[in-house]
Amino acid sequence: MLSSRALVRGLQCGLWRRVSTSSGAWAAHSHDVDMIDCSVPQYNNRLDTPLPDVPFVRNLNPEQKKLKEKENGPWTQLTKEEKLAIYRLTHELSYPEMRKGSKEWMTVLGGVFFFLGFTGLLVWWQRVYVYGDVPHTLSPEWVEQQTQRMIDMRVNPVHGFSHKWDYEKKQWK
Amino acid sequence: MAHPSQLGFQDAASPVMEELLHFHDHALMIVFLISTLVLYIIIAMVSTKLTNKYILDSQEIEIVWTVLPAVILILIALPSLRILYLMDEINDPHLTIKAMGHQWYWSYEYTDYENLGFDSYMIPTQDLNPGQFRLLETDHRMVIPMESPIRVLVSAEDVLHSWAVPSLGVKMDAVPGRLNQTAFIASRPGVFYGQCSEICGANHSFMPIVVESVPLEHFENWSSLMLKDA
Repeated sequence: MLSSRALVRGLQCGLWRRVSTSSGAWAAHSHDVDMIDCSVPQYNNRLDTPLPDVPFVRNLNPEQKKLKEKENGPWTQLTKEEKLAIYRLTHELSYPEMRKGSKEWMTVLGGVFFFLGFTGLLVWWQRVYVYGDVPHTLSPEWVEQQTQRMIDMRVNPVHGFSHKWDYEKKQWK
Repeated sequence: MAHPSQLGFQDAASPVMEELLHFHDHALMIVFLISTLVLYIIIAMVSTKLTNKYILDSQEIEIVWTVLPAVILILIALPSLRILYLMDEINDPHLTIKAMGHQWYWSYEYTDYENLGFDSYMIPTQDLNPGQFRLLETDHRMVIPMESPIRVLVSAEDVLHSWAVPSLGVKMDAVPGRLNQTAFIASRPGVFYGQCSEICGANHSFMPIVVESVPLEHFENWSSLMLKDA
């Protein structure tokens, strides 16, 4: 345990601080991800929570404030665009947008096929350049003689090999 | 012997192996049923758009999925125990053969009446006659009379081996300094192949077992001939 502590301290001084500390890792992609304070209610896009804890747009500009005032009155007086704008103030994504999903699966599948193909190439190279010849008992003549011997010996005569041979007609069933 | 690209068991050559085949069919059917059910449940769970966040408990299904597996296990255990006791029955053998494992061949001793003993080496691939089976043929086969209960006492002279013939449903470890007993009845005439089933050194894959089951008169002729040659 002491040696692992020494390793961590060694990594954390100087050059390795960027990769070995969590704050360093966060700072590296801070342009991608905001630091979220999880101790206050958060907005979320989830299919099973129709009303998230907080609205999506917290700080309304004057125009949006006016829209919110109009929402307090009868809704029949709101136009379709106003209703959509009010929805987008409280929600980021609609249900169809949440259900859409991404095209990541195509990348994954493509990657899988690519590496399978590459592995196939490696296996083929191995078969050609590493493996020697197969035993002579796999030559077609030997296999034919062996099959005939298996039929003559009644190998697996109940449900298996010889069961499939018609001994009267001397052919496979 | 097995045929190329065989998936299932070889045909049974003894009554115990027949029982084992039927039991395997029974257990595998249960396994397939359970696997199909689980696969269906997984696919249904993954492909649904519904979410239920408010399940707390459910006594009925908990009882069902506790009792039902117990019942299934009993349905597997009963035939299994039946075969176990079947294999251990008093069988009053007509013939006792000793199979001794060496590095790397088997030797068989028929000492009931005379002292007949011989070694059984694998035939190397380059010495095979046309049509013989690679890594399975031996120079001397263990010949037995068919439809007679046979007792085989298995032991080893040096390291662990294991005497196995799948179509007879027999496998018994050969432990140096110990006598293990197994018994079988060959229900039909034929030649049955097996291979050493306990790692025993460089040529562990090259010490096969060949059992030839013949009518009694042929067996008597063979043993007289073997005694004369010895």
